[in-house]
Amino acid sequence: MADDFNTESMLDMYLFENGQLLEQLQETVLEQKDAECFDEDSINEIFRTMHTIKGSSGIMMFDNITAVSHKLEDVFYYLRESHPDNVPHVELVEHVLEVEDFISNEMEKIRSGDPVDGDATNIIADLDKFLNMIKNGGVPAEGNAPPENVHEEPKHFYIAPVATSASRFYKIFITFFPETEMANVHAYKTVYALKEIAEDILYSPEDILTDEKSGEAIIKDGFRILLQAQCTEQEVRDLIGVGYDIEKVEVYECDANQFLLGFEFGDSEPAPQIDLESSVEVIEAKQEETQKAAEEEKKPEKPQIVPGDFVIQSKEPGKQKKLAKDKPKGEKASFISVNVSKMDQLMDLIGELVISESVVLQNSDLKVPGLNLDNFNKAAAQLATISTDLQNVIMSMRMVPLTNTFQKMNRIVFDVSRKLGKDIEFVMVGDTTEVDKNIIEHISDPLMHLVRNAVDHGIETNEERVHSGKLEKGKVTLSARTEAGKVWICVEDNGQGLDREKILAKARKQGILEDSKPDAAYTDKEVYQFITLPGFSTNEQVTEYSGRGVGMDVVVQNIQAIGGALEIESSPGAGSTMSLKIPLTLAIIDGIVMEVGTSSFVMETGVIKQFIRVKEDMMVHEPNGDEFVMIRGECFPVLRLGKWYGLEEYQESVEDGVMLILEVEDRKVCLLVDKLVGEQEIVVKPIPSYIKKVKGLSGCTQLGDGSIALILDAPGLVE
Amino acid sequence: MDETNRLLGLQDEAVGEDSGDTQKGKYMIFKSGNEYFGLEIQYVQQIIQYQKVTKIPETEDYIKGLINLRGRIIPVVDVRLRFRQGVCEYNDKTCILVINVKSTTVGLIVEQIAEVAEIREENILPPPTIGRAEKAHHKYVYGIGKVGNTVKLLLDPEKLLYDDDPADSEQGKKSEE
Repeated sequence: MADDFNTESMLDMYLFENGQLLEQLQETVLEQKDAECFDEDSINEIFRTMHTIKGSSGIMMFDNITAVSHKLEDVFYYLRESHPDNVPHVELVEHVLEVEDFISNEMEKIRSGDPVDGDATNIIADLDKFLNMIKNGGVPAEGNAPPENVHEEPKHFYIAPVATSASRFYKIFITFFPETEMANVHAYKTVYALKEIAEDILYSPEDILTDEKSGEAIIKDGFRILLQAQCTEQEVRDLIGVGYDIEKVEVYECDANQFLLGFEFGDSEPAPQIDLESSVEVIEAKQEETQKAAEEEKKPEKPQIVPGDFVIQSKEPGKQKKLAKDKPKGEKASFISVNVSKMDQLMDLIGELVISESVVLQNSDLKVPGLNLDNFNKAAAQLATISTDLQNVIMSMRMVPLTNTFQKMNRIVFDVSRKLGKDIEFVMVGDTTEVDKNIIEHISDPLMHLVRNAVDHGIETNEERVHSGKLEKGKVTLSARTEAGKVWICVEDNGQGLDREKILAKARKQGILEDSKPDAAYTDKEVYQFITLPGFSTNEQVTEYSGRGVGMDVVVQNIQAIGGALEIESSPGAGSTMSLKIPLTLAIIDGIVMEVGTSSFVMETGVIKQFIRVKEDMMVHEPNGDEFVMIRGECFPVLRLGKWYGLEEYQESVEDGVMLILEVEDRKVCLLVDKLVGEQEIVVKPIPSYIKKVKGLSGCTQLGDGSIALILDAPGLVE
Repeated sequence: MDETNRLLGLQDEAVGEDSGDTQKGKYMIFKSGNEYFGLEIQYVQQIIQYQKVTKIPETEDYIKGLINLRGRIIPVVDVRLRFRQGVCEYNDKTCILVINVKSTTVGLIVEQIAEVAEIREENILPPPTIGRAEKAHHKYVYGIGKVGNTVKLLLDPEKLLYDDDPADSEQGKKSEE
């Protein structure tokens, strides 16, 4: 398909732009999935999106995508022109999503270099059926129905008007010389020039940029523009008149009503001539012959109106939304996409900068007695401020909102609840919470499991809900918030909650429970944790979505892999809440730097509950070498870091060192180190893979003086 | 130190040209114990002076730890310990030879950098299969290169990094961990 092109960058751009369009489309659709019907804005937006995708796919020659998007465009064209009443909204939503899936899927193939071979015929047939259905079941009499939007037919590009009383309306017909090549491009130049002054502009044929054939049509039939602008006719002429290939330009002023009629001016008075040869009132003189001769290869376009053309009607100028054009423009100006590897590189460089800064500022050459360093110190303070700011900026650049991830969940709730016949309201809270990019990639799958579980297992069927006196409509809430340097993402449902007895029974059957321990001895929390064990499902029936008992264990694994944790709360009959507690970022943590012997270590601040100095008499020694310490009546196992790792020159006596009480998932342990150095932000780097994994170490980092400290992994130590 | 820098210059030149032809047949020769070893120069990224190494607990003793190479943290291996030649004190001739093998970057602590030598293929002999000294490391040595009257043991860097400890195959010397 696109084999003939060697257009990597074009393809990239195509994928990127359409990917964004599709995401936005899905968002729009899901926003309104529960409404009666799409509002006008959304219809227009979907229409436009499909139109753009159709156009760009056409250029790239992905015919199946073109065909599908064209068909959906038809449907929305009909909706927008005819406003049929009884459109089955949910069905429509499904159709749109189906198309979106199809295109995403095909784009995935393009991305991975596979042939774009998806079969669109089914979808197109479905859409056709749907379109016929709404037409027949529909409101508008056959006669009034707008002409079907056939692929070949040109459409008018539509930019929402902002009319004021000062606005004037023009109809413009441009005729190009018949020899003009690429008349469409010339036509576009004209449109482009007019856009500067235009409040609203329509033109026909529409596809001038994307459809090369439109050039021929322009030559043959002329190029028509409807312009709304606050300027005089002469100004319009001046703008257009710059083209050398234009044979003639006709400009008529008209009123707003005629303007809204667009090109369908059967009776509108300044009926433009159909072919250019016949148009007599040449307003602008032909271009000089010399010019013509000189420009033989270029061609003029001629504007004309074809009776078959139709206009996409703009809304009344009174109630417009913003200029449609403004929106995409604004977005483009404020975002650029950057390769993540470049960001990483930048971050590394900033890390190095910080380190070399400290090398300079603490340079031993400065320690010479008697130096006057006042000015140096001032400059140094300034430098330190800037480099700190720099670090903050790069970190904030890596933060992205959870919006997209949440949006995906919305889709899942929609799909699953429809299939299961459950009526579910999906609420998202705090979806703009920002999280490091790396982390977002890791939480998408776990979150999907949780949401699916909530819909499938959590929420009861409609009948059960009515039976137990609840609202028929279930509710799933997905929320995100930042708290204490962690991000909490909660999936909450108001369904049946977890069944403690059932879980216990199952656990006993699987032999997870200790025989001697009665059921009652297990806390709720412990019981709920069982569902995160591999192969554990209390669902007797395996459904399409869940019940195989894989899932929760994968969730927990994935979450732990990024240093997070899963908490489960539930109350029978009232629903359950699954909370993911994840770090804000993987790349930088707050850590306490400490020393043991000659080595430096870092421990994440979050797991340290307390620092304490202990006396020898608080220690309890067991004959087998284990040590414990009694602190305020509580007994903690003691881990001597120096001894554990066989380091040199560490403090033997507990009285010379410092104890850190660590808490990981309710397990506490005391870690003995020699001394604390301080708290600082730590840029986490992996330990090179050449070195086999060492228990209790999760990474390494560079300290301010360029030396390396090892990052301790609290969960590993506690084990 | 001066010597190191001179060699660094040499080596930069070789790397700078970055074409297989100019590097071919050139070997970085370094001394470890009483022997001279050679490593094809294409693997050598740079030579730095010995710097303080951060120890990592619970690793093989020849892995000395980590160093910070301009923002990159790389592991360093003590070649003497790797060859079971016994511990030696680090001094100002001790260098870290940063090599890059299959996109793994590792620093080798070597006693002394000797030179960059060109060894033609016809001067490279297969390693002898007998003889005590060679046996300890013949797994890493794929050839013996003759330079003038001396011989250099040519190392296979992949085996150097990844193969099991040589002592294991030897007559029951004390094994690793």
